[in-house]
Amino acid sequence: MIGSGIKRGTAELAVLSVLQDGPLHGYELARRIEQQTEGALRFTLAALYPMLYRMEQQRWIRGSWETSANGRRRRCYRLTPAGKKKLSPLRREWAELFRALHRLTKVAHG
Amino acid sequence: MADWQELVRQELAGLALDLQQNREVIEELSAHLEETFEQFRREGRTESESAQLALGQVGDWMILRRRIQAARAKEHLMTSRITQFWIPSMVTFVVAEGLLGLLQKFGPKPMIFAWSGNLAVLQFYVPWLLTLPLIGAMAAYLSHRSGGTSRVVFSTVLFPALAILGLFLFVLPVALIVDRHIDPSIVATGFILGILGWVFVPAAALLIGGLPVYLFLSRHSTSRHIAGQ
Repeated sequence: MIGSGIKRGTAELAVLSVLQDGPLHGYELARRIEQQTEGALRFTLAALYPMLYRMEQQRWIRGSWETSANGRRRRCYRLTPAGKKKLSPLRREWAELFRALHRLTKVAHG
Repeated sequence: MADWQELVRQELAGLALDLQQNREVIEELSAHLEETFEQFRREGRTESESAQLALGQVGDWMILRRRIQAARAKEHLMTSRITQFWIPSMVTFVVAEGLLGLLQKFGPKPMIFAWSGNLAVLQFYVPWLLTLPLIGAMAAYLSHRSGGTSRVVFSTVLFPALAILGLFLFVLPVALIVDRHIDPSIVATGFILGILGWVFVPAAALLIGGLPVYLFLSRHSTSRHIAGQ
């Protein structure tokens, strides 16, 4: 079973990676992650928003209210400089972990 | 079509955040649900089916409420101290002391009460005291608007007087230690009169403005909250 720490780590990496392309509000963010991972990563509201608020508190992302062309108010999240800084080591760590797991499964099946 | 805001408000009832944060969370989550619902409708689902599917994206409402509470609690504690207390207190203090400085320089002379045989005097800057209710009202408004509790609001209202009290408590003992030629009885009388003229009377003037504004705003926000339920 995947531990909550690992789950949280992948979710944070997904959010930071997607926000690197530009600001998004919660719904778009969840949809973009789902599309880009071909449905492998899906967020319920109970998972997404508490995580966004926590990441905001850590100053990795910043939320601000914006009004869209159709007059709707949405809270848009953008990556902060601290979030950008966090992204590269996080990517490296996960890449290392996946490489290690890949090697391990190859050995196990080889 | 479902009233998403109403639904989220009901499901998240009891979320212990200040009014503004609560409103923002409700608005954000209901907007998400509304967009999810509309997406399902665009895909050709019926209204009730779309609503059910949108609600299915929530997960567990209780978990959502607990997690939001946990995520916002630390942030809330830090930011609320600054926005509810420190910023309004500093604004109030600067305005009150700035006005006092101006009146001391350009305004009429203070009203002085002296007693024969005693060097210590009681003095009041009446025009300044007359402005303090307005400053107290402003402090109550600023703190309450940021979601301050009654304790925080009244600490903010009284901040200029409390700051002067702090100064008295620090300066007079130091003066006694530094200058041993001052008669301690004069210092004691000066201390009492100083506290009366510079702390108690200004505090009362600040409260004259702050208290009604606080009562008005808390009644107003309570009735708005009840109407919104």
